Amino acid sequence: MLSYILRRVLSTVPVMAIVALFVFSLLYIAPGDPAAVIAGDQASPADVERIRQGLGLDRPFLVQFGSWLWHILHGDLGTSIFTNLPVSALIAQRIEPTLSLMVLTLGLAIVIAVPLGVVAAWKAGSWVDHTIMAFAVLAFSFPVFVVGYVLAYVFALGLEWLPVQGYTPLAEGIWPWLQNLILPAVALGCVDVALIARITRASMLEVLQQDYIRTARAKGLDRRSILFVHALKNAAVPIVTVIGIGVALLIGGAVVTESVFAIPGLGRLTIDAILRRDYPVIQGIVLLFSFLYVLVNLVVDVIYTLVDPRIRY
Amino acid sequence: MTVSTTSTVPVPPGLAIAPPLPDLLLPVKVRRGVMGFLRNHPTVAIGGGLLLCLVLVGIFAPYLWTVDPTALAPARRTRAPSALYWFGTDMLGRDLYSRVLYGARVSLTVGLSVAALASLAGLAIGLVSGFVRWADGIVMRFMDGLMSIPPILLAVALMALTRGSVGNVILAITVAEIPRVSRLVRSVVLSLREQPYVDAATASGTRTPMIILRHILPNTLAPMLVQATYICASAMIVESILSFIGAGTPPTIPSWGNIMAEGRALWQVKPYIVFFPAAFLSVTVLAVNLLGDGLRDALDPRMAKGL
Repeated sequence: MLSYILRRVLSTVPVMAIVALFVFSLLYIAPGDPAAVIAGDQASPADVERIRQGLGLDRPFLVQFGSWLWHILHGDLGTSIFTNLPVSALIAQRIEPTLSLMVLTLGLAIVIAVPLGVVAAWKAGSWVDHTIMAFAVLAFSFPVFVVGYVLAYVFALGLEWLPVQGYTPLAEGIWPWLQNLILPAVALGCVDVALIARITRASMLEVLQQDYIRTARAKGLDRRSILFVHALKNAAVPIVTVIGIGVALLIGGAVVTESVFAIPGLGRLTIDAILRRDYPVIQGIVLLFSFLYVLVNLVVDVIYTLVDPRIRY
Repeated sequence: MTVSTTSTVPVPPGLAIAPPLPDLLLPVKVRRGVMGFLRNHPTVAIGGGLLLCLVLVGIFAPYLWTVDPTALAPARRTRAPSALYWFGTDMLGRDLYSRVLYGARVSLTVGLSVAALASLAGLAIGLVSGFVRWADGIVMRFMDGLMSIPPILLAVALMALTRGSVGNVILAITVAEIPRVSRLVRSVVLSLREQPYVDAATASGTRTPMIILRHILPNTLAPMLVQATYICASAMIVESILSFIGAGTPPTIPSWGNIMAEGRALWQVKPYIVFFPAAFLSVTVLAVNLLGDGLRDALDPRMAKGL
């Protein structure tokens, strides 16, 4: 078990190296002259040259990649072109709202989606099942900012139950923090709820047809313990996998959700960086989120072995 | 199908004749032709029909009582929807109805192009890594890395380095979608390679390119088609997100994401500016998703039960 986890941890190193190499080479494989694009239309040739040197585009690819990687391994993600502050400091300032939003959304999505999927599988073919699945298709089709605007319009502007926009740090109390995050989390979570509910239903349908479920029923076990203890445990592997995939959707969606609800997180930082063409900041954020995603996949794989001891690689 | 129970041969004594087969074994009514297929799979009909309508709207946008979608008219800014301005006007006085209809062109072009390009590229990469053993490891590790970068962020990073144009948006989203398609094709190829008919073809001396063309390729088409519809839906959402956060199509082109980005500042007082493009985008994505779900059920009946 321990040796498996250790091997799995080590196997993330090459993946992370490829991610780093790819994110770095974007500068070189992008069509046109990135230094000129970043500098903008009004820039003088001297400005372009300054940016080219700042990005290291005047040095050979491998030399630059080596020094860039060396700095990253020491926690230095480079310097913002626009503010001249270290990228890692900029990210550290903005990471709390984004992490809060993502953790809350993921928790909410799992708590809602898994029971929905279980009920849909149990009532397969009934109107309950059809309603849940129709909702899943709808939730999958409505882009996060559409859901966000509708929710904000109804619950914040119309009913005035919750604040329209903004963010309160967790340090100022749980309720103010939660109040600002409920609507964004629901908007962002819709896609994940749809995804997780669909897979839960599919996986449960398969498990519910197996003999030991019939045995459990014949023994007279109550329905809830059959569904949530016996069946769900064996249906868990695909569900855990799809939760991992859901994290990738969350990362992309968070950028947009933050802009709809004016949350000062990494999404806001990304958008500001795009408007100013502050490439080192974008690069740092992409790297950070990619590493986060690789870590999530690592955790998912380790959870596999806990859920299903037969799985060994 | 009829079963004859009368026999001209004289029946030997002691041998009973089986009673006629019940109708249960007769084949169910098979619907044929395009219309029959659509009647059997109503989600394909609904999704496909909606999508077709939207494509027609995009193509014939200039003839659907629209005006120039970029014509400024500061005198009639932010008018609410009325008989004159069906969807209202934005803060520069541009007619939203015209802008939303022209916006269909951008979304559909991006969605369909990305679906086609990503499918072709993914097909090529998947076939190579499914058949060339030494390339498989390298290509798949590379795809693992690429897949670890969230698609929207990858597209954002690419867009930050290039000038905003519809072509670059298509390219950026395609790059982000390729790993998933090539994974799918590779897994299909790997399972097809083990099929007895492929062994038989190899044994009878068929060359690898011919095996790929004749036996592998046709079998990858069904899952690819389903995957392509999902890519189309996701590409349209990513395009609108990119435009919405300012990294997509240039603001001079009316795309749904751009219209929403412009309406963002005013959405609390003039919600219709955001509402109309949002509604169109949602319906379009829904249509493509319905089409995809229907095609999946139609092409792979085993999946229909599960999902």
